[in-house]
Amino acid sequence: MTIQKMSPPIPRQQLVIKLFHGIIIVSLILMISSGLQIYNATPVFGGRNGWHFPGFLTLGKWLAGGRDWHFAMMWVYSLNLLIYGIYILLTNRWKKRFFSGRDLQNLKAAAKPKIKSYAWHRLVYTGIIPILILSIASGLAMYKPVQLAWLANLFGNWQTLRTIHFIAVPVLLLFMVTHVLMNLKIGGMRMIRSMFA
Amino acid sequence: MNPNLMSRRQLLQLSGLSGIGLLLNGCGSADFAEGVGNAIDPLNQRVEELLLRPQSLALEYPISSIQPQELRINSFNAAPQIDPATFKLVIDGAVDQPMQLSMNDLQKMPLQSMVIRHVCVEGWAAIVQWGGVRLRDLIALAKPQASARYVYFTSGDGYYDSWDMPSALHPQTLLAYQMNGQPLPKDNGAPLRLAAPIKLGYKQSKWVTKVTLMNQLPSKKGYWEDQGYEWFAGL
Repeated sequence: MTIQKMSPPIPRQQLVIKLFHGIIIVSLILMISSGLQIYNATPVFGGRNGWHFPGFLTLGKWLAGGRDWHFAMMWVYSLNLLIYGIYILLTNRWKKRFFSGRDLQNLKAAAKPKIKSYAWHRLVYTGIIPILILSIASGLAMYKPVQLAWLANLFGNWQTLRTIHFIAVPVLLLFMVTHVLMNLKIGGMRMIRSMFA
Repeated sequence: MNPNLMSRRQLLQLSGLSGIGLLLNGCGSADFAEGVGNAIDPLNQRVEELLLRPQSLALEYPISSIQPQELRINSFNAAPQIDPATFKLVIDGAVDQPMQLSMNDLQKMPLQSMVIRHVCVEGWAAIVQWGGVRLRDLIALAKPQASARYVYFTSGDGYYDSWDMPSALHPQTLLAYQMNGQPLPKDNGAPLRLAAPIKLGYKQSKWVTKVTLMNQLPSKKGYWEDQGYEWFAGL
């Protein structure tokens, strides 16, 4: 007699979460590509003689077009994040789905590898939330450094402010790769599909 | 299940892929920036007007922190030849007392000095000292009509730009004839240029020859604005 191996349950995501997730992907792609267009006008590193991003990575054709996209998508990006924040507070999702003290214990203790993977992944996607908020704060500080001087002053001088705003790009790209790889490790393609289909 | 029918999942995956294709396609080729800008600009401009505190002073820096080497010279044309001895600034439009002022007249008015951060749309910034006349003092001299809502600046090199009245009346909006403790250099706009901490650099016309108060903006709002840059451009 053979015992059939049970396949793990199919992961499911709520429609509203898929929406938040889809919107943040699209808005981040547009924010980053238009941001690189703005970057190219005067590279943060090296000034006008610094290295420029190749044109196919940039959105908006020229600086004015890049700014058009950037200052339109900032609304989509930040409102999506704000509504998501309210949603996770109201539904207590922040307690259930984000990194917690229990994850920390599991990382320290000799927990099963699967439990550890979950904890690591929660640490990674919880850690990106402050980066997402920081990119809004540093962006606003650069957009309105006089009217929002209280915010701009937190970031020190102009070059520091530009650097902090730009650093979000490599951090986010690194996060995206890590996020996909960790999902594949934890739940394979089924896990990836559950967020899009 | 009929194998010819696409499952809901396949359909969503396909639409997602074609969506990404549309995005990538957008990069580089015609990419709707102008339409996107036109759609969002009224909202962004409204927010900028709300954010502007017309009487609140922008941060001023100690004179020791000026960065002369950081201030780049940007202009769309060569610097025009203007003889300061015969130069007259014209103030006209929606004013009860149009006037013409020589550099001598202007230099007799109270000199306002400030060390502020000049921010360029290109992303660079420089701490600069500017000295000159408050634009609000000049506008007051010409007795503005209550209906005036905009100020239009004409420059000797053909540049033109326009400002909202609250920004023009800001106490740190100057028509400057000094820079970094020296007489304003020709390439920086001599004899007279706009200088203010509350607007991006392209709003700060050099070689200003005429200040015109207006009730309504003409279709040509500004040299760079007419090509797609934001009109308000507040900081």
